[in-house]
Amino acid sequence: MNRTILRAGGATLAVVLAAIWAFPVYWMINTSFQTPATINKLSPTFLPLDGTLKNYREVLADNSFSAALGMSLTVTAIALVLCVLYAVLAALAIARFRFRGRKTFVLAIIVVQMLPAEAMFIAQYKMLASANLLNSVIGVTVIYLAMVVPFTTWMLRGFVAGVPVDLEEAAMIDGCTRMGAFRRVTFPLLAPGLVASGVFAFVQVWNEFALASIILTENQKATLPLWLRDFAQTSNLGVTEWGQVMAGSVLVAIPVIVFFMIVQGRMAQGLVGGAVKG
Amino acid sequence: MTTTVTAPEATGRQEPAAPRHRKRRPKLPYALLIPAIATLLIGLGYPVTWQIINSFKEYGLAQQFGQPAEFIGLQNYLDLFTDSVFWTIALRSVAFMAGTALLTMGIGIALALLMKAIPAWSRIVLQVAMLLAWAMPIVAQMTVANWLIDDRNGVVNYVLSLIPGVDYIGHNWLIEPLSFFGVAMTIITWASVPFVAFSVYAGLTQVSEEVLEAASLDGASRSQTLRMVIVPIIRPVLVILLLLQLIWDLRVFAQIQLLQDFGAAGERYDLLGTYIYGLGIGQSQFGMAAAAAMVVMALTLAISWGYVRNMIKEDQES
Amino acid sequence: MKKTMIGATAFAAAGAIALAGCSTASDSGSDSSPAASDTAAAAEDITLWLAGTDTPEALIEYLKTEYTDVNGGSLTVEQIGWGDLISSLTTALPDSENTPDVAEVGNTQAATFTTVGAFMDLTDHYEELGGDSLLPGFVEAGSIGDSVYALPYYFGSRAVFYRQDIYEAAGVEVPTTLAEYTEVNKKMLDEGVGGAYLAGRDWRSAISWIFANGGDIAEYDGSEWHATLDSPEAIAGVEQWQELFETGNVAQPTDDDTTTYSAINDDFLSGTPASSTLAPSWATWTLGDFDEETEGYVWNSETFGVYALPGVDGGAAPVFAGGSNIGVSAATQHVDGALDLMEIIFSDEYQTMLAENGMGPANLDFADTYIENSTFEGVNEIAFEAASNAKLTPAAAGWASVEEAGIMEDFFQAVAEGGDVTKLAVEANAKIDELING
Repeated sequence: MNRTILRAGGATLAVVLAAIWAFPVYWMINTSFQTPATINKLSPTFLPLDGTLKNYREVLADNSFSAALGMSLTVTAIALVLCVLYAVLAALAIARFRFRGRKTFVLAIIVVQMLPAEAMFIAQYKMLASANLLNSVIGVTVIYLAMVVPFTTWMLRGFVAGVPVDLEEAAMIDGCTRMGAFRRVTFPLLAPGLVASGVFAFVQVWNEFALASIILTENQKATLPLWLRDFAQTSNLGVTEWGQVMAGSVLVAIPVIVFFMIVQGRMAQGLVGGAVKG
Repeated sequence: MTTTVTAPEATGRQEPAAPRHRKRRPKLPYALLIPAIATLLIGLGYPVTWQIINSFKEYGLAQQFGQPAEFIGLQNYLDLFTDSVFWTIALRSVAFMAGTALLTMGIGIALALLMKAIPAWSRIVLQVAMLLAWAMPIVAQMTVANWLIDDRNGVVNYVLSLIPGVDYIGHNWLIEPLSFFGVAMTIITWASVPFVAFSVYAGLTQVSEEVLEAASLDGASRSQTLRMVIVPIIRPVLVILLLLQLIWDLRVFAQIQLLQDFGAAGERYDLLGTYIYGLGIGQSQFGMAAAAAMVVMALTLAISWGYVRNMIKEDQES
Repeated sequence: MKKTMIGATAFAAAGAIALAGCSTASDSGSDSSPAASDTAAAAEDITLWLAGTDTPEALIEYLKTEYTDVNGGSLTVEQIGWGDLISSLTTALPDSENTPDVAEVGNTQAATFTTVGAFMDLTDHYEELGGDSLLPGFVEAGSIGDSVYALPYYFGSRAVFYRQDIYEAAGVEVPTTLAEYTEVNKKMLDEGVGGAYLAGRDWRSAISWIFANGGDIAEYDGSEWHATLDSPEAIAGVEQWQELFETGNVAQPTDDDTTTYSAINDDFLSGTPASSTLAPSWATWTLGDFDEETEGYVWNSETFGVYALPGVDGGAAPVFAGGSNIGVSAATQHVDGALDLMEIIFSDEYQTMLAENGMGPANLDFADTYIENSTFEGVNEIAFEAASNAKLTPAAAGWASVEEAGIMEDFFQAVAEGGDVTKLAVEANAKIDELING
């Protein structure tokens, strides 16, 4: 009896907390369907009953959103794939082998993450400028890769170590080469770990805007965070079109939410996988 | 993520296998590292070198436009160390980091325990809500937050003003520095709790029912079970989560920068990230900014040194 | 910069005539004119950076078409958000491969970039581009000594926008001196019909009181800038502003300029709207009655009105002038193209277009067009009047840093909170002095 009440109370609490966590997201969506007249009222409207799609039409009116979406997707996809690939190779090396320089490498990837990026923008600009890679996917991807590879390696190293080496050896006895054993045995077992670490790389790359604002100066080359930031700021004279800004925010969030939904199951496995070994 | 903490131990367990491979394939590990090292050298090699060199130079806007930059030895560092503004901001950053990380951990753990205790349907509701929050891109998060606390039409002020005798309409949350950082801390906590809650919950699901039953058979109370059985099992997860939160919250930049874009800017609203950015990009004191970045790196390293040393040591022993 | 010019000349002298495309320098800058570049037939593709979205789309289109007609090359226009402008200019302007050929910069930032040699010397073209007809204060901000580097692009000014109905209800007249402005607002506030709305952190408005009293933010002593917020004139001005703030103002010390202008509209403040606000002249389209159909604000000359902020002894106070400058990057490889573009920008046609679109034209010969094309009666005339004796922030290398650090905002907020003006001024001076010389 007591237990039932506790569980019911817990469930209620959970729903309340869920409401708190989801409220900003709800409010964003809610506002995105409202007209300025509704938004500018002193008392807010909690349900967009007489909603409008005008905000979305306005936001999508020029092609700047689709250009930014394309840019963000391209940069993130390339950075993500290369990052996970490079990181898993490096993770294999440091988790499976003893070799000279290993400690230095491990130390380096930890220390690199502690270096504030904010002072390097000028140097990164100069570097890309001299390579003629400003306003290019390659240029921004190269820097983002360097930004996410250390952490991803650090993280994947634990997952690799968690796959029993015996399995690989069994495969090698069956005639696989070392790399063949990695590919056939270790990789599939690493999948949740790859997803979990990939999510972090994804989020970091997708969110970056400070460096992007300096090296992607062409309006058609802006990434989504830049686009949204400019969009929210162009409301000069203190009149912010909140409806449109929220519609823009919804559009920027959708790809990430979709991505999270797709990988969600695997990600949970990845987190559990990590915990098992704890 | 959580694996990072477990890495040393896991490596330790399997390590006996390693020496055997060393003789067989001495070149393979180096080959495996090539892409990662190349990436780091290309993406960071030049900028880091530039930063180190210029932290010893007088490098401002004039130098950026072609004046020769002169070596001034440790002058930038000395200026920094004797500048009370820098220390104020450094302390503020550490306080902000500690506050935000502990708050995030506390709420995250509480939510994980709650998820363990409640019926599946309500757990899923909570998880979906948190997944949405987690998936919000930072710029969108901050834009929405700014709309929520908008002084005139924001829903937060509206709801607060419903309380009799309270009039918050027109209240600007981003002017008073304490209030500014309160807002920042709330948003960051809101956004990072889901990750902590999911990870801890994942850890908790690994605590087997048998262990818990055994504990209750032995007459352990709920809180005793939590303290003596559950916490030790998930402790490594908690340690790594805390460390990550500390590092991330010390380095926080995007949220503060965006909040400054919306509200007030100036050193009273700075943390280390925005301070360095402001020194460099804002005030064109690139030499100083480079020096500040080096100091912040040293500071981060000092804070996490215990962990790093431990990790390297375990790594060597294995 | 000199290097680039010499290089360009040498290039031309070498007889490289058929140069086209992006990496060409075709002619020495000093003798270029549309005619010259036409004969040289060196079409150059160039880039123009405009700040934010202030320049209307139609004007951008005009520039592109016209540039292709004159030069043969194509013009790319990038709009750089105001927030990213300094960082983008800082990184790109020195880089000859990636620099915009022509760039707009905020008028208070112009001095910073001019001082470090970011812009090309335009002294030889000054007469051609408008000469002494160009807005003097802005020219000064873009000059070093007698050399002109960055020219005015457009200006806006500040004026008092007020509610005629509230003034009538309170039985007050439009004030004719700055002291009267305080009195009038005090009276209205006492009668409960709404005072002025001057945000505590809106320093761009507040410094008008310093200027009106003969003070200044900083002065140049021949070698260095020194903040002068503690001069007797400046202190008198700030104290006068403080009195207004405490007795006749409805805004909060913590308010900033993002909300100021709409405060005189209905339904913006709870209760009665503010009776007046000091706003940039281009704010007009956000003021008026709300129109359900267009979902915008429509000026209503029955209830709304505008007048210049009165000076200490009558007349118009020298207010702060907003706007921007424009210059040719010193690192450009397309001197001819850039100059062609500058000529288009300072042509009669384009200046007329600016004026017609409510942006104060750089060339004062077109002030009449600007005044005639007021979005509603009289506002541009008042804005123009104010702009002709408007003042700018110090033309110091480090002024952009001072703005970036938020010193002025903090100063006026503290004053608005009732702090001791002299003490605060001395403190603010010290902070400004640290940054203002770059």
